[in-house]
Amino acid sequence: MKISVYTIFILFLFPFQATLLYSLNPFGIQPDFCLVIACLIGFRTGPVHGLIVGGCLGFIQDVFSAGMFGLNTFTKAGAGFLAGVFARNLANRAPHAAFVPIMACSVLSSTVFLLSSRMGMGLGEMLYGFSYILLPQAVLDGLVAIMANWVFGRWLVEAPSA
Amino acid sequence: MRGRFRPGVFWGSGVKRVSVAVLVIAFVVFALLPQQSQFLFHTLGEPLADFVAIPVKGMATLDRTLREWWMQYIALQGLSQQNRQLRETVQQLNGEVNRLREQAYMAERLASLLEFQEDKSVRTVAARVIGRSVSNWYQGVILNRGEDDGIREQMGVITPAGVVGRIVRTSGATSIALLTIDPNVAITGMVQRTREEGMVQGTSQGLVRMKYISPLSSVKKGDAVVTSGLTGGFPRGVLIGEVSRVEESEDNLFQTAEIVPAVQFRYLDEVLIVLSPRSPDAMIPLDRASVSPGLQNPTP
Repeated sequence: MKISVYTIFILFLFPFQATLLYSLNPFGIQPDFCLVIACLIGFRTGPVHGLIVGGCLGFIQDVFSAGMFGLNTFTKAGAGFLAGVFARNLANRAPHAAFVPIMACSVLSSTVFLLSSRMGMGLGEMLYGFSYILLPQAVLDGLVAIMANWVFGRWLVEAPSA
Repeated sequence: MRGRFRPGVFWGSGVKRVSVAVLVIAFVVFALLPQQSQFLFHTLGEPLADFVAIPVKGMATLDRTLREWWMQYIALQGLSQQNRQLRETVQQLNGEVNRLREQAYMAERLASLLEFQEDKSVRTVAARVIGRSVSNWYQGVILNRGEDDGIREQMGVITPAGVVGRIVRTSGATSIALLTIDPNVAITGMVQRTREEGMVQGTSQGLVRMKYISPLSSVKKGDAVVTSGLTGGFPRGVLIGEVSRVEESEDNLFQTAEIVPAVQFRYLDEVLIVLSPRSPDAMIPLDRASVSPGLQNPTP
């Protein structure tokens, strides 16, 4: 069951986001669904699953991205892994509990993109990217994670808590 | 139950370890050999891109159909009011067309006097936007044409309305174009009225700025900015946008103009990829490339 769910996510999440979900961008900021799902899988089923599914989702994103090849692969894999590690230290696995860990993973992942895409463009561009892209996206990712956890949670087997 | 395939066991043992090992090795290669790893990733990613392009194209078709239905529904609301407004606009435009036609005839006559050759040699290929960038850090679109159609990196992308951006990545069946509103895109532009050149670059705010304009320039709000044709990828004279604000740069050495792009990127559906800004046949041989006497002292 889990493998089928992962395969569906890996093959169809990116096309879905790049086409039908593109309009879902409140205030011009779109949530990173691939990051959210990678983190959620890490959060629900353990760090290694998050790492692998995150790596696959990130690789597909890299193939269709304008940025440096590999950044999405490793940031999504790392975020999925970290979310799993965070979850191991949480007693509460209710849907809303995913908000803070996934927001933190989004901040870390976006910091890599901020540095790679805006480096050398001046402090103004960096600060703008931090205030108007990185932070709002992190909050949005956290909110989407709560909804995704509620919707997909039943298909993802809970990892044993610490 | 012995010998029966059990996915849980399969997933839990070998595949997981191998996948983790592959990711770790790939990360080490990426960290130690960044340049070489780009080639490796590109080679590995190309067949995957062609495969994933299939659901992307399918969903893009679904997306377009849904949008068309929605637009038709919206269009029915207040149709009569819109019709009245359009009639008024048509009347205004008719007058404008007549005036411009008159100017075009005059320009044609002057051009023939100056022995200008009209450059009809721009070769383009039409492409459809099948997806958008899913990252907030890069403003790009996915196009349904790739290396199989002769598309290469750094080619320019335009529409009849103006400049769209530049191709930055290609696979067999698709390509990625970075839009002019992205800070990582730079095009040499020219103020159409004053003929002054500058570098046109996107900003994080989703705007376009023209930098390095001479402080003595008389560039002002409303001036059209077009491609200069000096850098590869774009023919000369394609509209980039209209100046909305002019300010001195921080060091006061140059002026910077804020530009409203001519293209509405949100509603981009079809584009033209510039295969060659001008073909070799259209180039003037060196022995004929001397400046025409009429051009040395052009009279208005």
